Formats: sequence, structure tokens, C-alpha cells
Amino acid sequence: MGYLNNTVVTVDAILTDTGRQLLAQQNGQFQITQFALADDEIDYTLYNPNHPSGSAYYGQAIDNMPLLEAFPQSNQVMKYKLVTLPRGTAKMPILDLGYNSIILKQGASLAITPQTLNYQGGNTYETSGYSATISDIRLFSNFQGVGINTPAVNALNVANQTTTIGTSVSKTVVGTTINLTATTVNTLFSTQTQLQATLTVEGRDSGARLTIPVTVIKVS
Amino acid sequence: MSYTRLVADDFVVSSDAISSTCWTTGNPTLSTFFTSSTQANGSSGNYYLNVYNTASNESSSAVQFGIAYGNSYGSGSANYNSAVNGKSPTATIWGQWQDLVLGDENANFVFGAVTSSQFFAVTMERACYKDAIFLGSLTLKLSGSQGVITLTDNSQYVSTVPYCEAGRVFQLISGSAGTKYTNSGTTTDGYSVNSGSYGWLLPDIGAILLNPLALGEPPISGGISFTFSGSAYTGNVAYNAATNANASLFRAMSGSTANIFTLNSQETITSDYVFVRPRSSEYNYSENPSFISGSTGEVLYPQFINNPQTYITTIGLYNDTNDLLAVAKLSRPLTKDFTKEALIRVKLDF
Repeated sequence: MGYLNNTVVTVDAILTDTGRQLLAQQNGQFQITQFALADDEIDYTLYNPNHPSGSAYYGQAIDNMPLLEAFPQSNQVMKYKLVTLPRGTAKMPILDLGYNSIILKQGASLAITPQTLNYQGGNTYETSGYSATISDIRLFSNFQGVGINTPAVNALNVANQTTTIGTSVSKTVVGTTINLTATTVNTLFSTQTQLQATLTVEGRDSGARLTIPVTVIKVS
Repeated sequence: MSYTRLVADDFVVSSDAISSTCWTTGNPTLSTFFTSSTQANGSSGNYYLNVYNTASNESSSAVQFGIAYGNSYGSGSANYNSAVNGKSPTATIWGQWQDLVLGDENANFVFGAVTSSQFFAVTMERACYKDAIFLGSLTLKLSGSQGVITLTDNSQYVSTVPYCEAGRVFQLISGSAGTKYTNSGTTTDGYSVNSGSYGWLLPDIGAILLNPLALGEPPISGGISFTFSGSAYTGNVAYNAATNANASLFRAMSGSTANIFTLNSQETITSDYVFVRPRSSEYNYSENPSFISGSTGEVLYPQFINNPQTYITTIGLYNDTNDLLAVAKLSRPLTKDFTKEALIRVKLDF
């Protein structure tokens, strides 16, 4: 992954893995209809509103930073979306999953119902639901999103609810509630007593995003 | 909200013709020619000879083109079965190209006005010629036992484009880079005086057919006295590796007085331009964790409450179900606040 030449402003565009897949399927899903913007790679603590040279220099440390080329993995780009909010917004929408971390014993189940705080005048559930990505699907015998019943989401959820497949891959489902059941397969643990992964949840309307650690404890 | 719907005016589809060099070396002229003894001595060597840019065991080596000889009588290679005369790899090649180019098993190749029962096919690698061979770019230099000749196509001299079953077809003439050379051995069209044109250029299938009759003429008649096993095309000729047809043409191309094969490719790239227009009131806040201070979502600096400033680095293009189809990165961050609007053109090539 290289840096883009930033002596001139250019746009480096590629299809994502999802885009290539949908293009190949020729099922009409490869239809660009909307855009979103993100500020991946930006560290706003570099913005200095106390710069001695004045406001023109507040963003000096960010303005000319080199940026990396685009990644094709759709889970690795557009992480931090820019959002449209009314002027005067003091608090950004953030997600509340009800848990700062998840620890499950083998075979145990959990339902997560995310909520978005500071969004549309209060705390609310997003109309389009939430996408949840588990970094290692092998940890769960069931990883399912429910509550959003559009054809595309149903297709995604059906395709991705298949669980332990023996390969460490991430899986994404969409729903207003995410159901998890920890795996009962002992061989995954080898000599370890617990397995760890991360769960990333993103509000599909707000763009708010939260990642928490997930631990599955071996029972016997 | 973090998504903005695109409207019809935000999309422009454009097709652009792009030409580039034909060879994997990136140079317009191929001047080194190698074959692989493994390929030549294998079963495929009876039909064609692959030509590489470097020795075939080097990492930079890649097949650039192939050479095949076709003869309607099966001359130029050993028969498949000694009891069946005239059925040999060269007859197979003849029938293959007859079907591909003429679309008639009874038709013959007519180079200029001269009918021929044999030809050499020089077939470019698909990845090299892309969509088609770029007209007027051909310069092929061949050496025979008497003299050398450079060949090009007559696309610059025809008023109407002739077509065959393989698309456009142009005559090969004496000349280079699309420019005709005439002398006492050629006609005013650049053909050999007695044996017609030097072959055909078939740009749409990335192939050149060479007319052995014209090349076999002496220099006074526009040829280079090019000979090989099978050039006397009556009846079968026993296979002889030293005078094998494909190897003979390879030597004619790679000889020290030849060594020039210039050719460009052409392709049409269809681009989808998407114009992304964040308005002044949009995208002025960020879900970036560094934009947020504390666990309850406060913005990082008090100034950001009424005068937020964000930096656009990435543009995501989505379908209706929020699947990320394409992503574009800016080469440097683009400042966005309530006083700024942006217009970003994203180009997707297919």
C-alpha cells in the first residue's frame, strides 16, 4: 500500500471487494445511487485552534498530510464517516451497545440491541438498523442480525449466518438486534482457555461506530 | 445522516480510445526475439512457435506473439499418419484460419489479387494487443537469403474499410509505420509485382497473415527470397527442423539485419464519472474518534460546535442497500466547513 502523490489533488478510485462481487453477480445490485464521505487517517488532535500564527494555521499539521491509497476491503475503508448535523451540534451521535466488552462461555447466547445517543434530538434506534462485523466468525455458532427486512439485508444475513467454517474470516450482518451464540467447538481453543475477537457495530444512518472486545471462555 | 443520494446529473459515461505499446517490455519496438526449446519440441511445437522478449527461463520473459504456418495441402510438416497424405498440422492450421477469417471451407486467401494456398499467421498475445491492433503502427522487418524488407499495413491508403469474417482486413505492403515504400520491385500499391500483397493485417483479432509467395520472390520482384520447408506447396514435404516453416520465419524476424517489430495496441476504456457534491451545510461533523472528546460524544474543541471543520479523505460510493461498491481516496485532505462546498470527480474505469 503506497502513498498517493499529493503535489496535485487527485482522486484514486477502485472497486471494493463487495463491488466486484456484486458486479460479477449481475443481479442489479451494482448500482451506485448514493455517496458518503469519510475522514479516515485524520487525527483531529493535530488541529490546533491555539496556533500562535492565527486561524489560517489551525489545520497546518493536517492540510498537506500524505494519504494512503484506497483499500479494496470494504470493511477497512470509510471507517469514520462525515455526517450532516445542524450547526451548533455539541455532541456527536455515539453508539450504546449496553456492553463495553462481551464475555461469553461456550454455548452461551446474547442479544445486543444497539442504540444511538445524541441522534435526531435524543437517544434512538436507527431506521436502517446497524451493521455488526465480527472479526473471527469461528467464535460463534450463531451470528445473526434481525429486525431489518429489506431483500438485500435478508440476503446478506442469510448468507452470513453460517457460522463455524474453520477459517478465520470476518462476517457482517445487519439488524436492529444482533444475536450471538458462542461456539461449542473445543478444537478451536487448542491449549488456550479463551478466544478473543472484536465486534464492530456501525449505525447505518448516523455512521456512528463502536468496536468492543469479545471473549469466549472454554467450559471444558 | 451520512449518505447523500446522487441524481442523474451526477453521472457521466465516457468512452475513450487508448493506444499503447503492444509488447510487455513497454517499448514500441520489439528487437529481441527468443523461443523456448521446451515449447518448440513439445506437441504444440508442431503447430506454432511462441516468441518471447527474453530467454524463456528469465523472470521478465513473456510470450509476445506466436508463429504458425498453414498450408492447404498439408505441406511443411509431417503427416499425422503416413498412410494419409496431406493431413498434417499445417493443414489443421490452414483450416482453422480459413474458418476463422474466411468463413468458407472452399475459399482461399487472396493477398492483393493473388490467391495463395499457404500463409504464416503471426498472432499477438491477447494481453498485448488488448482490444485491437492500432492501425498504421506496424513496422515488421524481415530478412531472407537475399535482402531485407519492411512491411506495414495499407490502412492509410484505403478509402473504404474492407471486412472479412474476422473483422477489418488490410493488406500488408512495403513500408513502415503506415507509410508506403515503392520501388521497381513493387507495384504502386506497395505490393510485390508478381505475387500480390505481403499479407493481411487483421487488427480486430490481433493477427497478421504473411504471404510466403511474395516474400519468396527475389528482391527484383519485391521479395527477399525467403524459403523454407513447404514453400514448394505441391504435395507433402517431410518435416525438417532446420528448415521448419515456423522456425524459418522466426529466423527471418530475428536475424541481425531484421530485428524490428513495431506495433501498438488499442483499447476503448469506458469510464463512469461520478460527480460528488457535498453542499455547504453537509458533512461538517465527523464520527472520527479523534473528533470526539469524552465518552458522551462531545466534540473535541468548543469551536467545533458552531464552526466545525472536517477533512475529506475518502469518498464511498454505495448502492441503495448501503453496500460500499467503490471507494476513492484524495491525494490530500480536503477541508470542509459550513462556508465551503466541494465538487469531486470520481472516475471509474471498466
